[in-house]
Amino acid sequence: MTKCPMETREQTELLLAYSAGRLSRDVAAGLEQHMEGCAACREFAQGQQKVWQALEFWEETPVSADFDRRLYRRIEERTGWWDRVLLPLRPMLVRRGLPIAAAAGLVVMAGVLLDRPAAPVLPSQPPPAQVVEVTQPEQVEHALDDLEMLSEFNDLVTPDTPDPSKI
Amino acid sequence: MSERVKTSMGATAAALDYDAELMLRVKEGDGASFGVLLDKHRSSVVHFLYRMIQNHAVAEELAQEVFLRVYRSRSTYEPTAKFTTWLFRIATHLALNSLRDGKKERSQERLDDDSTDLPVRQLSDSRPSVEQAMVYQARLEEVRRAVAGLPEKQRAAVLMHKYEEMEYSQIAKVLNCSESAVKSLLFRAYETLRARLAHMA
Repeated sequence: MTKCPMETREQTELLLAYSAGRLSRDVAAGLEQHMEGCAACREFAQGQQKVWQALEFWEETPVSADFDRRLYRRIEERTGWWDRVLLPLRPMLVRRGLPIAAAAGLVVMAGVLLDRPAAPVLPSQPPPAQVVEVTQPEQVEHALDDLEMLSEFNDLVTPDTPDPSKI
Repeated sequence: MSERVKTSMGATAAALDYDAELMLRVKEGDGASFGVLLDKHRSSVVHFLYRMIQNHAVAEELAQEVFLRVYRSRSTYEPTAKFTTWLFRIATHLALNSLRDGKKERSQERLDDDSTDLPVRQLSDSRPSVEQAMVYQARLEEVRRAVAGLPEKQRAAVLMHKYEEMEYSQIAKVLNCSESAVKSLLFRAYETLRARLAHMA
């Protein structure tokens, strides 16, 4: 080994890996050879190995026996009912989902086409309201005046014609 | 495993790990595969969280939340990374949030409290003497204090490196930082631990 691992931080990982026993045999042998003449590396590796051993002292402890039961209960509580209903069907839906979706689409489209109404039925319009002319009294009076004037005019034009009212 | 998974996602998953394949089966609705994943990772997740939080009850609660989130995310799961990277990312996120939410105080109380909620470890001798048990408890307490004294990210990095035997690249993905940042975190963390624990061995 030409370069001391302690010279750069990047190289220190080699010593960390060595202390953790994660180096290949060849690389570890090369490092050990280097450490014989390098007090800094030797000291670092020894200190790191002590840390490693101390951390190994902190062993795992048993997980509660009811951990799974609590978890599945929590899953059941927090999972939607539709999810629970669909869960057993999911493999089938996933595998056959596309054909089923396509078939369902065709059925819906066919239904829409067959059921289409011939022509839209417009709502019948109400009959037009009858126009009732309301004749005002003044209009009647004018009409009678006009008739009288026409009668007088007729008498003037044709004096021999007998008055029909006098016949 | 169904043909669909084999053809569409299987290649990616197989390139990653068996856990990812199991998770894809969970995605398809295979509850048994979720059970397999739980059996495989329950212990490591609980202990990672316990060593982070240093409170057994809280660690188990958080571990439950981790697996609940895994289960609830099954429909959107994509095997883009190793399953354990995803799993420990969730666990680390929850642990850091829990610590920042003030639960750290509770764990500190636990450390200060001589009584422990953990079962006493049985030494190799089936009947350890009182003295041996006391020495063990004192050493364990020292290790726990030393780890608890590390900054949160350094602690997470050390726990993943030491106990989960994760590579730098995987720790980087879990902590969402660069590999060189992980090396720096580990270097500083081990430096602190060497100062605190070197006398123990």
